[in-house]
Amino acid sequence: MLAYILRRLLWTPVLLLLAAFFVFFMGSVAPGDPAELRLGNRATPENIEKLREQMGLNDPLHMRYIRFIGNALQGDLGESYVFQGKKVTALIGPRLLVSLQLNIAAMLIALTVGLPLGFYAAKRQGTKTDPAIVISMLILYAMPVFFTAPFLILFFAVKLHWVPAAGWSGMFSTQVILPALTIGIPGAAIFVRHMRASTLEVIGQEYIRTAHAKGMSGFVVNYRHVARNALLPILTLLGFTLAGVFGGSLIVELIYGIPGVSRLSLDAIFQRDFPVLTAFVLLGSLMLVLANLVIDIAYTIVDPRIRLQ
Amino acid sequence: MTQATSSTQQGPQEQSVAELPPNLGHWRQVWARFRRRKLAFASLMIVLFIYLLGIFAPVIQTHDYQDTNLAKTQQGPEWGGNWLGTDRLGRDIYTRVVWGIQTTVIITITTFITGSLFLGVTMGLVAGYFRGWIDAIIMRIGEVISAFPDILLIILLAATLRPRIVQLARDIEDSTGITGLVSSGIVDYVVIGIALLPLSWFGMMRLVRGQVLALREAEYVEAARAMGTSTPRILFRHILPNVVSPVIVSVSFGIGAIALSEVILSFFGLGVQPPRPSLGVMIGEVTARGGASVSVLRDHPEQLLTPIIVVWLLIFCWNIVGDAMNDVLNPRAR
Amino acid sequence: MRRIVIGMALSLVLVAAVACSGDGSATEAPALPTSTPPVARVTQAAIAPGLQDKEDAPPVASESGPATGGVFNTLWSDPPTMDPHLVTDGTSYGIVIEIFSGLVRLGADTSNPFEPDLAESWSVLEGGTVYEFKLRNDLKFSNGDPVTAQDFKWSFERAAHPDTASTVAEEFLGDIVGIQDIVDGNASSASGIEVVDERTLRLTIDAPKAYFIAKLTYPTAFVLNKNNVESLGRNWSDEPVSTGPFILKEYRIGQRIRLARNDNFWDRTAYLDEVVFNLAGGVSMAMYENDEIDITSVGLADLERVQDPTEEINKDLVEVPPNFAVSYVGFNMNEAPFDDANFRQALNHAVDKQLIADQVFSNLVKPAYGIIPPGFPGFSAEIKGLEFDAQLAKDLLAQSAYADPATRPRIILTVPGTGGSPGLTTEVIADMWRQNLGIEIEIQQVEWATYIQDLHRGRLQAWSGLSWQADYPDPQTFIDVLFRSTSAINYGGYANDQVDQYVVDAQTEQDATKRVEYYNNAEQIVISDAAWLPLWWGVDSKALVKPWVKDYQFSSLTIAKFKDVWIDK
Repeated sequence: MLAYILRRLLWTPVLLLLAAFFVFFMGSVAPGDPAELRLGNRATPENIEKLREQMGLNDPLHMRYIRFIGNALQGDLGESYVFQGKKVTALIGPRLLVSLQLNIAAMLIALTVGLPLGFYAAKRQGTKTDPAIVISMLILYAMPVFFTAPFLILFFAVKLHWVPAAGWSGMFSTQVILPALTIGIPGAAIFVRHMRASTLEVIGQEYIRTAHAKGMSGFVVNYRHVARNALLPILTLLGFTLAGVFGGSLIVELIYGIPGVSRLSLDAIFQRDFPVLTAFVLLGSLMLVLANLVIDIAYTIVDPRIRLQ
Repeated sequence: MTQATSSTQQGPQEQSVAELPPNLGHWRQVWARFRRRKLAFASLMIVLFIYLLGIFAPVIQTHDYQDTNLAKTQQGPEWGGNWLGTDRLGRDIYTRVVWGIQTTVIITITTFITGSLFLGVTMGLVAGYFRGWIDAIIMRIGEVISAFPDILLIILLAATLRPRIVQLARDIEDSTGITGLVSSGIVDYVVIGIALLPLSWFGMMRLVRGQVLALREAEYVEAARAMGTSTPRILFRHILPNVVSPVIVSVSFGIGAIALSEVILSFFGLGVQPPRPSLGVMIGEVTARGGASVSVLRDHPEQLLTPIIVVWLLIFCWNIVGDAMNDVLNPRAR
Repeated sequence: MRRIVIGMALSLVLVAAVACSGDGSATEAPALPTSTPPVARVTQAAIAPGLQDKEDAPPVASESGPATGGVFNTLWSDPPTMDPHLVTDGTSYGIVIEIFSGLVRLGADTSNPFEPDLAESWSVLEGGTVYEFKLRNDLKFSNGDPVTAQDFKWSFERAAHPDTASTVAEEFLGDIVGIQDIVDGNASSASGIEVVDERTLRLTIDAPKAYFIAKLTYPTAFVLNKNNVESLGRNWSDEPVSTGPFILKEYRIGQRIRLARNDNFWDRTAYLDEVVFNLAGGVSMAMYENDEIDITSVGLADLERVQDPTEEINKDLVEVPPNFAVSYVGFNMNEAPFDDANFRQALNHAVDKQLIADQVFSNLVKPAYGIIPPGFPGFSAEIKGLEFDAQLAKDLLAQSAYADPATRPRIILTVPGTGGSPGLTTEVIADMWRQNLGIEIEIQQVEWATYIQDLHRGRLQAWSGLSWQADYPDPQTFIDVLFRSTSAINYGGYANDQVDQYVVDAQTEQDATKRVEYYNNAEQIVISDAAWLPLWWGVDSKALVKPWVKDYQFSSLTIAKFKDVWIDK
C-alpha cells in the first residue's frame, strides 16, 4: 500500500503538468484574444500587436508553457491578463478563502440538519415518518439552485428583512446565511442518507452482541462499523466541500454576489484570462488528486477487502 | 463473495459480480422487484411521461415555439389558449417547455450513447481486459480530465469549441448542400455533447474496467479462453452482459447530472441557440441570467417555475430510479 | 470599451447588449462588456444615464441643508485598472474620476461642457496652438504635497512613456508637441509642455484644434504624484495619492472599493464619509429593497411593481432622462445579402419598433429612427426614419437581388451571448422578419471575447447587442466615426462618398449651424441607405434612489458624482 501511495504521489506532478498544458492548449485554440479584449474598440492591428508582444502572447505555445512551468516551480504563477499588474496568486488566494469559508459554512448547516434527521429517520424505521423524511430530503436534494436562491432571497431578505440578500463579509456575518443554506440543503440530504444507513446497520447488527458474548474484544468487533460510521460522513464532507469550492458553488456565487473562486474562473474563461484559469485548474487538480488518494486509503480502512494496487 | 481488486472504483456495485451471464429470467425477476417499489415505479413512469412529452413535442404543441405575439405578452395561464401563459414575447410557455424537454431528451440520450455507452464501455472493456499500457494510458487521460472542476471544464469546452464546430458545420452545409445542421440545432447538440463528454465517459469507463478486471479471472472466462474463444467474443459474449447491471445503475444516476449540465450551459448562452428553446434557455432568459430571478419569481412565477419544475422533477425521479435500480440489481448492497 | 475619437471632442462608449437585455435595462450590461459576470449589476452606464436631475429628480430641498457624514452604497464591477493613465473603459473611469482630477473637467450641463478644475483659468494663444493654464492657488495632493505645473509636466510625460504602456496616451495627449516622440520611445521630455512657473503650465499643440481642451478632461491627462508612483512601482495605484474629491481607502478585488473624503480637495470637501462600491454583484433589486444599496436601476421584471403608486417603493422612483446612446443591428455591407440597399431597407421596414418598445420593454426604451439621440447636440427631428410598413418591406424585398429564398445566402445574426442577455430583442426581430418577410435567420450567441474579435475582423455578417454612448456633446462621433468609410469603428464597412464629404466638411466648418446641417445630411443618407437597423435611444430611463440620498446628479457624461451627495438619515 505504501508503494501505491508513493506511486500516486509521484504521478501527481505529471498530472499537473498535463492539466496545465491542457489549459494552455485551450488558450491557444480558443477564439478571442486577451490583448484585443483589453483594447476593446481601440484595437488597431498595431495596438494589438504591441500589446500581444508586451503580454508575451506572441511566443509559440511550447515556449510560453516552458516559461510558465519554470516560473511556477519558483512559486510564480504569472500575472493576470485582465487585472493589470496583479499576480495570479494574489487574485486567487483571497477568493479561494471566500469559497472555502462559504462551503464550510454550508457544510456546518448540512451536518447540523442532516445527521440528527438521519438518525431520527432510522429510529423511526417502519413508521411513516421515516419515508416522509427520506422523500422530502430527496426532493430538496433535487431542487435546482435557480429556484432555491431567488426563493430564499425573496422570502428571507426582501419580505422578512431578516438577512442580507447578497454580498460577502466573511464566514461570521449574516450575509453567509442564505448562500450557505442554498448549498447546505442538498448537502443535508446526503448526510441524512448516510446517517440513516449507518444507524440502521448498527441497529441491525445483532451479531455484535453475540460476538461480545463470546468474549471478543470490543475494539475488534466494532472496528469496521466504527470506522465506516466515522469515515463515510467525513469523506462525504471532504468531497462535498472540495466540489463546492472548485466550481460547484458557481451559480450560488453568481446570484448572491460572493467573490469566490468559481466566479473568478468563470470570468477568466469569458475574458480569456488564461493565467488565472491555469492557476485555478492547477490548484483544483492538486486538491482533487490528494482528496482522491485520501478517499482511496480511507476505503481500505473501512473495507479491508479492497486492496490498493 | 468475490473479491473486488480495483482500487479506484468504489461503491456497492463492485460486489455484485455474477458468476455467469444473466439470462432473461434474471431480468424478469429484476423487473418484478423494481415494480414492487411504488415510488420508484411512479418515478420511472413520470420520467417516461416527460420524455414522451419531449419526443412528441411537434405533435402536442399548441403553438409554434418561435411565434411571438406582442398583443399577448406575459399573460397568466388561460384555459383553451396559452394554458401555461405566455412569456415576454407572447410565446406560449407550454409549447416552449415541451420543446425544451425535447432538447433535454436529445442531449441526455446522445450523451448517454456516445459518452457512456460507446466511449465509456468500450474503453472500460479494453482497459480492463488488456490491462498493461493501454489501461495505463486510458486511466491517466481520464485522471487528468477528471481532476478538472466539472462545471467549469464544461463551460470552458463549450465556450472555446463552439465557434469552431459551428463554422465547421456551416462549411459542411455549404459544400454538401445539406441544410439545417445549424438551424435545427443539431450542431448545438454536438457542442453540448462534446462538452459533456468528460462528465460522462470516465465514470463509466472506470466502472466497466473494474468489472472486467474481476471477471477476466472468473472461471467461465478462463474456461472460454482455454477453449480458444476469440478475444472479441469473450469480451462481448461473456463479459459485456455481466456489466449491464452496473451500467444501468450508473446511467440512471448520471442522467440527472447531464440534464442539469445542459441547463447550466444554456443558461449562460453556451448551449442551445435561440429561438430554439431549452429549459436552460428559458430559465436564463426569464431571469436575465440570474439578475432578475427574484423579481420574476415574485411577479411572474409561472414563467420561471414551469421550466424549473420540469428540471426538478426530472432530477428527482432519475435519482429515485437510480436508487431503486441499485437496490434491485445489487441485492447485496445496502 | 470607451473611446474618445481623435478629430473631435467627443467620445463614445461601446456598451454591450444595452437596451436589448432580457431585463430590458443596462443593469445587465456593464459599461465594461469585457467584465461579464452574468449577474445584475448597476454600472456607470446604468446609474448615470441622462443629463441632469432637473424636474424629475428626488426632492433635494431640506430645512437642515447638506449634512456631513454617512456612507453611500452602490453596486459596481471590478475596474480593470485604477491607474488614470491606463483607463480605457467606463467601469474604471467612473471610479478613477472620483479619486483623481486634471486641469479641466466636464460639467453636468451640456451647454457649457468644460469647467475649470485644478486650473482656475486658461487662455488660448497663438491662434489656437498654445494653451496657457493657471493653476489654483494652494493646490494640494491628498497627502499634503503641493501640486505644481511641474507635476503636470511629469504626469503627461509619464502617461506617454512606453513603460507606462498606456494605449490611449497617443490619442489624448498626442496633439502636444513632443509627446509622439515619447510614445515612440525616442525622447523622455516633450518640448510642447512648458513649466512657466509654479502655477503656470503652457501646452503647445501641433495645429489649432478646438477639441483639444476636451481631451484634457480624460483620465490620461490627470495629475499624479511623482513620489507616489515611483516609490510604489507597478502597483502604486493600490495606495494612490490623488487630487479628486475622494481618496482610495480600500480596494479588495472582487469584493469592494471604499472611498473616503479627501480633506485636501481644493473645493468644498465631500459631505459623504465614504462611498462603497460593492464589486461582487448580487440581485440589485433585492439588495435595494433590503437597504443594502442606495441606488439601483429598474429592470424590466420590476417595472410593473415599481410603477404601481400603491407600492411603497414607488416613492423612490426617479425618471432618468434618456442617455445619449443608440443601439442597433449592424449589417456588413461587404457581404451578401447586406450589400443590397433594398434588402437592408426591407429588413428595416419589417420591424415594428414601437410595438416592441410598448409590449416587450414597457417603454423603458425609445424607438430610434435616426442615429443622433434626442436632446443631443445635432439631433434633428427632421430626419426621416424607416418606419414600420410590412407591405413596403415586402415590395422592397421583391425588388432586391435576394428576393428568392432559394438563392439567398445564409443570414447569421451574431449577439454577444454572455454577460448581457441579448435574447429578447434579437428573437423578436428575427420573428418579425420571419413573419413579415418570410426571411429565416440563424441567431448565434458567442461570448464577448469571440464577438469582439470577429467584429474587429469584419467577420460578422450581421450583429446586434451593441450600442454607442456619447461622453462628450458633439454629433461628430455618431456620424463621422461610425459611418466615415475610413473609420476603424465603421464595422459594417459602410462607404458613401457623399457622407464622407459631409463629415470632412464638418470637421473644418466654423459655422455651428452649418456644421450640424452637414452631419444631419449625412445622417439622413445613412438612414435612407439602411446602413443600420437603429433600435433604441437611451437605455435605462428609470432608477430607484433611497429617500435619504440627496443631491445625486444623474449625468450622461462621466463626471465626479459623489462630491455633492449627502445623506439625510
